[in-house]
Amino acid sequence: MSTKPRSEMSLGEKMQSVPKPILYLVLVLLTSLPLFKELNVPNKPNEASEDFYATVMAVPEGSTILIQSDWTGSTRGESGGEFESLMRILMRRKIKFAVYAAGDPQAPQVVKDSISRVNDERKLSGQPGYKQWDDWISLGNLPNAEAANQAIANNVQTAFPGRKAIPSTGGSPQDVFDSPVLKGHTKLSDFPLLVVVTASNTATIAIERYAGKVKMAQMVTGVMGPETLNYYPKQVVGLVVGLKGVYDIETLMEGGINTADPHTIKDDNGKFQGKSVEGFPGELNKGKATRYYPTLHFAFALLIIAVLIGNIGMFLAKKEAGK
Amino acid sequence: MNFFLDIPPATFWNNPSGSNALMIRLALALLIGIAAIFVLLKAPTNYRRPIVGVVTFLSGAFYVMLYLWPVAISRNKGIDAPRNPVEGVAFWLDDAVPVVANFTSIVTAFLLGLGVYSLLRVHGRKVMRKETDWVFSVVLLSSMVLMVFAGYGDWYSRLDPIKAPALELRENWGPINYLRDVLFEGMLQQMDAAMFSLIAFYILSAAYRAFRVRTIEATILLAAAFIVMFSFMGSVEAAWGHMVNPSGNIDNFSNNFTLTEVAKWIRGSIQKPAIRGIDFGVGIGALAMGLRLWLSLDRTGGKS
Amino acid sequence: MKYETIRLIFGALATVGLYSVLYRENKMYRFFEHVFLGLASGYTLVAVWTETLKQSWWDPMVGTQTENGVPGQPGFWAYMFLLPIGLMGYFVFSKKNNWLSRIPIGIILGLWSGQQLQVWWNRYGPQLDDSLRPIIPTSFNPMFVPSTKGLPKIEVDAIKAHVYVSTAVSNIIFVITLLSVLSYFLFSFELKAKFMQKTTLLGRWLLMIGFGAIFGSTVMMRFTLLIDRMYFIWVETVWQGILGQK
Repeated sequence: MSTKPRSEMSLGEKMQSVPKPILYLVLVLLTSLPLFKELNVPNKPNEASEDFYATVMAVPEGSTILIQSDWTGSTRGESGGEFESLMRILMRRKIKFAVYAAGDPQAPQVVKDSISRVNDERKLSGQPGYKQWDDWISLGNLPNAEAANQAIANNVQTAFPGRKAIPSTGGSPQDVFDSPVLKGHTKLSDFPLLVVVTASNTATIAIERYAGKVKMAQMVTGVMGPETLNYYPKQVVGLVVGLKGVYDIETLMEGGINTADPHTIKDDNGKFQGKSVEGFPGELNKGKATRYYPTLHFAFALLIIAVLIGNIGMFLAKKEAGK
Repeated sequence: MNFFLDIPPATFWNNPSGSNALMIRLALALLIGIAAIFVLLKAPTNYRRPIVGVVTFLSGAFYVMLYLWPVAISRNKGIDAPRNPVEGVAFWLDDAVPVVANFTSIVTAFLLGLGVYSLLRVHGRKVMRKETDWVFSVVLLSSMVLMVFAGYGDWYSRLDPIKAPALELRENWGPINYLRDVLFEGMLQQMDAAMFSLIAFYILSAAYRAFRVRTIEATILLAAAFIVMFSFMGSVEAAWGHMVNPSGNIDNFSNNFTLTEVAKWIRGSIQKPAIRGIDFGVGIGALAMGLRLWLSLDRTGGKS
Repeated sequence: MKYETIRLIFGALATVGLYSVLYRENKMYRFFEHVFLGLASGYTLVAVWTETLKQSWWDPMVGTQTENGVPGQPGFWAYMFLLPIGLMGYFVFSKKNNWLSRIPIGIILGLWSGQQLQVWWNRYGPQLDDSLRPIIPTSFNPMFVPSTKGLPKIEVDAIKAHVYVSTAVSNIIFVITLLSVLSYFLFSFELKAKFMQKTTLLGRWLLMIGFGAIFGSTVMMRFTLLIDRMYFIWVETVWQGILGQK
């Protein structure tokens, strides 16, 4: 990088040395101003997100699923949106869930706060909130993911020995496997689905240990996306990756999936070929992803333009030096 | 020995809660454990590596046996008895899995305190000796104490079997619950998010200054990165798609050249195998490292 | 001022304090950095007990009394042995006896390495299976996968059963990419054969596509985290919290 004063720099050199504070200020402006305007961006959900949505929507109402949630505030921009979308779908379909963490000690409290936010949202629209013990249960944190996942794969009940919670009506703490959420669930195969929401390699640790024992879907951050995509669709039946993935889910919650072709002959289940899954029209489906996604375009555009300016500057500087 | 029947029968391994027998056995177990530490401290130097090696080997041998030993399928736990020694070992291994997992979680939980202990040592020393910037160490220690106080206070308030369900609603919170919420959700989570988001600025600055197409590899990397970023931008996808396939009919040949399809093809045919190749390489390394660790074949194991 | 607004202001001040490092290292940043570390380590001390040790170790060890019809559990005294094992880890701080800390670490690493035999296949087996793709087409007319719209199921199944030229080409590219990337990693010694040299060079180039994808995804994630912070400060705290707008 040139150390000459700016007035003596060639155009190419100037283009390569925009001061950092200017870059940062532009980034802050481009990631702040669009948040105040509701911008509609067209979206075509990708296959992995569609499969995730279809899988969760196929879980029978009233059944219990298992959730492994290992994210904390550090990735709340993506993981928070993923988890809250999942909560909205589960609560609307009256699906119970048991949630545990396999790594971060902060994760269980983050989950409770997140569920509390979605509950507040539901109460504002006149719907009942989810109660601990009756509708969902926290199974705490198991610090060693490898051993924990292995134990859960062996037998869910014995993996959480002596775990107790206070019933929603009060009273002494009771075994969580006596709760309406977990009664009769002892093995992984008793759960129709296991969802892993994570920002770390606990996604792959879960795949290694739960292989073939339970249907698994995952919600991961952008960084884990390319690696986790390798496991889709054989080992992970549905995958939500990053902000784009959350926006896909919010889009699908609004409009559902309808690729079913009525000109085809119905299959053995009485359905036309293609997929047809309901959405939740008229309900609050747009979460933070709908607010953040348009702003992401501006941030990307800034990065692309910055890289292009830097490279054009390099070529110009080379040309000028050659003269 | 089965730790996990609903109400375990009285055995050598358990005693009624609060009983003198239990207290005595707990005290004895603690003394034996501490005595074992003192014995190990006196161990000669040339015994140390073998001790660590044996512990590592026995730990790994459990899972190796679990995978290699015949599995007892269709077993009714608590009802079926093993018909021969092979089945007996299979039953024991099956029962031991959650016990081993539980023990591992507990030992890992104890080790999580290492980081906290290290912070206490370093910053405690700074404050005691009034070293440079000791005031910040006071800030750290005070925040830690405040969080511990608020965290335990909030947890303790939720142990009350009558008040606990009411505390699910914020209207019923007391001062300690509000304090925990401000410290955890109001500050810790927001600061955690802020620390991680700082990298966005550095990525932009680094990409601007260092991302130069000087070589073929850099050009390929840049082109792939741009295509992926464009594929995350719905408006670009829609505009490109409209340009290439104005009718939007997915059966048109030109639909293959929309950004969605191009990115999907690159993702499926080049990105996936490239990352899979890296993954296979890492996997082979992990398998080799696992074997080396299990058999203590690493160079420095056990030496001080 | 409402409680929620006060909480938002605390968070926003802390966020801005940490962001001040972008200008330069300063006392405000150091203050918030130390607050962050203190809160994080304090919460670890809380969560390790409340989420893990109390229910997994303490309660099984000391047992519980019968209360309101819920039967008590006896205490298993052998759990006490885990305390000295865990405490051995703290000898890492001792210059003379830090080898003792390798015992609990050896237990954890030993268990991990024992698991690798089985989990390796669970993780990579299906991927190996998926990587073995047909590279010889079974149909040359048409060359591209035809549309299945409006066709009965039996015809759709017949179409899907074929490997078309376009699919075979994609599969060849997949297999070549995988093998060349693997050869780049595995053959880290000098290769004399020109064909192998070209293969590893191709592998390096194709790897760059994978890295480009990783870069793009990482950028998306980091920018999303930043957008979330900007939303928190400007919209949640200032616009909705302090100014009371919707």
